[in-house]
Amino acid sequence: MFKLGKFGKKEKSKCEILTILPNDCVAKNGKKLILDNTRWEKRLHKELMSLISEPPPGVTVDAESVSENLSEWKINIDGVEGTLYEGEHFQLLFKFNNKYPFDSPEVTFIGTNIPIHPHVYSNGHICLSILTEDWSPALSVQSVCLSISSMLSSCKEKKRPADNTIYVKTCNKNPKKTKWWYHGKFFLMSF
Amino acid sequence: MENENRDEMIIKQQREIEREICEAIPLVSQLNEIGSLNDEYENDEVYINKIKDLQTKYRYMRRTRPDGNCFFRAFAFAYLEYLGKNTHDYISFRSLAQESKEKLIKLGFPQFTLEDFHDTFMEVVKKFDPAEISLDKDMTEELSLTFNEQGYSDYVVVYLRLLTSGKLQEEADFYQHFIEGNFTIEEFRHQEVEPMYKESDHIHIIALCSALDVCVRVEYMDRGDGGKIKAHDFPEGKEPKVFLLYRPGHYDILYPNK
Repeated sequence: MFKLGKFGKKEKSKCEILTILPNDCVAKNGKKLILDNTRWEKRLHKELMSLISEPPPGVTVDAESVSENLSEWKINIDGVEGTLYEGEHFQLLFKFNNKYPFDSPEVTFIGTNIPIHPHVYSNGHICLSILTEDWSPALSVQSVCLSISSMLSSCKEKKRPADNTIYVKTCNKNPKKTKWWYHGKFFLMSF
Repeated sequence: MENENRDEMIIKQQREIEREICEAIPLVSQLNEIGSLNDEYENDEVYINKIKDLQTKYRYMRRTRPDGNCFFRAFAFAYLEYLGKNTHDYISFRSLAQESKEKLIKLGFPQFTLEDFHDTFMEVVKKFDPAEISLDKDMTEELSLTFNEQGYSDYVVVYLRLLTSGKLQEEADFYQHFIEGNFTIEEFRHQEVEPMYKESDHIHIIALCSALDVCVRVEYMDRGDGGKIKAHDFPEGKEPKVFLLYRPGHYDILYPNK
């Protein structure tokens, strides 16, 4: 099933984009081509420290959840004052794998209060391009939280996505297994 | 029911294709004769003639994995190989690269994530200091090892993507002319430049060459008439240091006849 995002359909280019790193890909010399494990952990530690010491407004990490498992973080975000979500509290679950930051984190809303928003499904899945196709390794947990917070803040009308019922019934548990359609294709001038 | 799992099936199939590609093609291959291209175009007159033309100018090539990062990876490999033999250019490149971090931070890139990529990038650049390398052979082997190690190779690709993005931002008014429709440079940078695996177009090449003050020659080989391949220098009028072969959707490294 294809979801409609902010600008309409995106055509896939004919040369497919490779979106995995070869975790189980073995080179001819028998050497495994994987990123060393310590690197992604180091990066997550660094992000965690920064998020704890200088959290963006309205964002707090549930340090207890992280201390149990570095690859799953619970993060609380507050609805911003003066927006439709003022006074509400939400919780996000971030899941990372050892290909982070080359692989995007899996991010969903969890808990009892899932924001009612045209890009948030009632199962917590979020239609936001930086979570899949537009993810860049230069982004971070913090920038994802800020994007989600600004996505909520800019909302004009609280409502669920039009296809919420069918999507929630049929989607995979992992939102990264949905092929989201976010925006149109760029056309570049040739010369 | 079938429809319901279409996304998963498509994604699964994509993963299969990706796995096959990565098993078949290293991130950067060993040197191949240009003639090896003929194997890919049996009975294809148009391409066979163009390969002949290519052979009049180039002797060897290195293939790169077609993972959407091929331009950046090919560029980095070829340019470092050149710099490793050219002390003067190496020294100015190293200081430009060193200073680029502060420049990107000033442009608004997050220091926090930028740092890791810059550190690894500089680590790689320092490996190919001509003063440290005694033999060409050692350097080429070291380059091959480094670029086939995902932990280095992809970090280098990310940093070049960020440099490209920075240049687009810095000269947004100019680069905006390349983009048709209502998209901004800002959107383009975030959607087509900074994410991994997104393919490169002229605009990426022009911005990167301008950011690093280097000239790249791209030889275009496609189905077009004429039997000749067409070269394009980015920017024009400078001496190219990096030579790439473009076939629709993909870049490989070329080695000119001496």
